Amino acid sequence: MSPETLELELACLHAAAFGWAIACCAGDRAAAEDALQASYLKILDGRARFDGHASFRTWLFAVVRNTAAELWRRAALRRLLPLAVLDDTSDGRPDAATVLARADASRRLLAALATLPRRQREVLHLVFYQDLTISEAAAVAGVSLGTARTHYERGKAALKKLLKEEPE
Amino acid sequence: MTERNDSELSDRFRALRREDAAATPPFDATLAAARARRAARPRHRTGWLAAAAVVVAGVAVALLLTRPDRQAGTIGLATVRWEGPTDFLLVLPGDDLLRTVPHLGRVNLSILSDRRTP
Repeated sequence: MSPETLELELACLHAAAFGWAIACCAGDRAAAEDALQASYLKILDGRARFDGHASFRTWLFAVVRNTAAELWRRAALRRLLPLAVLDDTSDGRPDAATVLARADASRRLLAALATLPRRQREVLHLVFYQDLTISEAAAVAGVSLGTARTHYERGKAALKKLLKEEPE
Repeated sequence: MTERNDSELSDRFRALRREDAAATPPFDATLAAARARRAARPRHRTGWLAAAAVVVAGVAVALLLTRPDRQAGTIGLATVRWEGPTDFLLVLPGDDLLRTVPHLGRVNLSILSDRRTP
């Protein structure tokens, strides 16, 4: 795939990729931007190559997911080092501006999602937010279809229960 | 198939997606920031390498300084030769004959003297 075609594909999926990056960074918008930039850089430098086995969107989401996890690990390591006080790193929680900008319903949804296990959260986001099939969600999350289906069913049941318990 | 069969959850996620879409940074800006990050990356790598080199050097110096004196614990094997109290029993009369190369036409006097002993 030529660099121009790659850029066009990335531009088309940019909004969706940003939404997925936010989900991968536990709602932290700054960390999501960071992860997305690092993902684009990986793709444009050829360190992440699209081999055509999955759809471009599925592959891009997998790259963003892995990159966000790498950045999270690095940030966690930096927090352990003494020089961390000099470095403004994210702690993995949504920043205050993001929380304030959210509507109440979205805030409740995000709070409920945050209580679910990571795999369930990922599969629910990919299916409901990104409109992927469970099979595609399984490919992005790197799990089997059966596992993804289990996460989906359990996550959905837990999320509905949590949202019902929340006062409207 | 049970995918997206819950309209209430779908509506909530759709609203969330609309909010995120409104706050998505422009693609060009994200790409420009990614390229700027590429330019800044070698500095980061150099910094990490320098930090790693400092750590390795520190560990090496610490090991050298804290290492126990190896000369004090060594034993010269050449100076220590233990002899058992019954070693003399292994010395047989005429065992020189077995250790030396015989020469034709020469008489070994030590053998002769051994034979004369009762």
